[in-house]
Amino acid sequence: MASQVSTADVLIVGGGLIGCASAWHLADHGLAIELVERGHINAGASGQNAGSLHFQIERRFLEQGEQAAREGAVIVLLSKLAIGDWATLEDRLGRPLDIAMHGGLMVAETEAELDLLAFKVGRENELGLSTVLLDAAELRAHSRCLSPALAGAAWLAEEGHANPRILTDAYAQAAKQRGAVLHTGTRVTRLTMEQDGTYRVQLVEAGKERTVLARKVLLAAGHWSTRLANMLGLNLPLYPAPLTMSVTDRADPMLPFLVQHVGQRLSMKQTDDGNLLIGGGWPSRLERGEDGLPDLDRPALVDSANLRANLEVAARVMPALRQRSLLRTWTGTTCVSADQLPIVGEISAAPGLFVAAGGSLFTLGPVLARLLAQTIATGTMAEEIALFSPARFAKLDAFAVLP
Amino acid sequence: MSRIERGVTRPEPITIVIDGETVPAFSGETVAVAILARDQLRFRDDRSGRARGMFCNMGTCGECTVWVGAEQGAWERLRACLVPVRPGLEVCRCPPEDER
Ligand SMILES: Cc1cc2nc3c(=O)[nH]c(=O)nc-3n(C[C@H](O)[C@H](O)[C@H](O)COP(=O)(O)OP(=O)(O)OC[C@H]3O[C@@H](n4cnc5c(N)ncnc54)[C@H](O)[C@@H]3O)c2cc1C
Ligand code: FES
Repeated sequence: MASQVSTADVLIVGGGLIGCASAWHLADHGLAIELVERGHINAGASGQNAGSLHFQIERRFLEQGEQAAREGAVIVLLSKLAIGDWATLEDRLGRPLDIAMHGGLMVAETEAELDLLAFKVGRENELGLSTVLLDAAELRAHSRCLSPALAGAAWLAEEGHANPRILTDAYAQAAKQRGAVLHTGTRVTRLTMEQDGTYRVQLVEAGKERTVLARKVLLAAGHWSTRLANMLGLNLPLYPAPLTMSVTDRADPMLPFLVQHVGQRLSMKQTDDGNLLIGGGWPSRLERGEDGLPDLDRPALVDSANLRANLEVAARVMPALRQRSLLRTWTGTTCVSADQLPIVGEISAAPGLFVAAGGSLFTLGPVLARLLAQTIATGTMAEEIALFSPARFAKLDAFAVLP
Repeated sequence: MSRIERGVTRPEPITIVIDGETVPAFSGETVAVAILARDQLRFRDDRSGRARGMFCNMGTCGECTVWVGAEQGAWERLRACLVPVRPGLEVCRCPPEDER
């Protein structure tokens, strides 16, 4: 029996933050949007992450050289846009999202780290980001809960955190209200291109096969996007990054800010409920599948040495943590690209096929989804995200045969 | 809920303190057992004041969290189903008064 066939203007694969936010924006352009998610909404990295809103530039953009400087400048510009998006998101989605933008500290433990921060603050200030350097005494006066042994910190007033457990759902509900159709428990099993350039997306929903024909497809499937591109014989240089997150029991309010570390993997914040969330990019361990390769469909396992190291850095920065109990540790898998910048935009070899994955797409998710939706709807790449275009990896598809 | 007596040999009881009251327990038991043995199904209250109790008995759900006395008069929130009893151990099902 022939499977049921329907059409959509844009078919979005993945019901994470990127997929749902893009659906919401695209539906506003009057397009017929169908989103398919194989699990439930927010089942991937978007529901497992640390929820940090970090806008200070990362260490690697501080390297010497024109390219690092140029990329740093674009990231700062995007961060400034992201700050604006976050600041207005609760109003636009009409729902409380536990967004706290009370500032963020990137701490230094050594004088060498403090020098690096000083250089960073200089670069950021030139680019229009108002970070402030705090020496040990200023930091002590600023945040009494942190260790007196710290050498200093860089402070940015707009940083903070939000609740990853509710944001994606808020986007999903808002997208539905605008007429987007969302199907959970629906997996893409095959993706091909017809002679006329239309995409044929084969789905399995509740054990039944069906097909959607769409002129445009957005791969918003996190680290699984690579596999989906593979279905068309295309190559996306995205690599899985399995990470570790921990949460302590509730404590009295003590930490209103986001805390990061310039020289160590650390992110720390306190939720509205009082729990302390600890992460920062310590790897967990992907299990092997029957083929001997990392199994991306099973949750990664906690690596106890990395967990201990993560908690040790955290407790060194905030000694009061030693009095807390660890409630839970979990893992989540995100992805990084070959050059560590997000890959966002249309894939050169496959007109109408878009992707958005790689990097810190919680912090940058709302703004990237907005600009990507604009790109998809208007057919013109938004200038602000041109740096992230998949075009920089076009040579990987030199041998692709489409349709 | 009482302990099984028939066919079970136990060591001499020790005592622990639950909510200020001294109660017997046996080495090898968990705090959860000692609470249940007092016919208490309520291990803690959620923030809306509703009773919560032991659910998985294997450290997974976190429902059995209680306050356990730690060094130097401090308190730790631990899962009762994972903490073995020891002589003089102090346990509170409500926030202890001196908890900061
Ligand atoms: C532990 C951890 C901490 C992090 N901390 C931060 C942070 O503090 N700040 C920050 O900015 N970023 C952080 N990140 C990164 C951030 O979470 C991700 O970049 C972001 O959530 C990516 O969203 P997404 O929608 O692209 O992907 P995901 O949320 O992973 O969504 C992809 C979805 O696609 C679905 N899917 C896959 N294959 C198919 C298929 N064949 N058919 C249908 N559906 C499919 C999946 O089920 C999944 O729900 C963190 C990530 C992790 C794992
Ligand atoms: S009963 Fe589930 S953790 Fe103790």
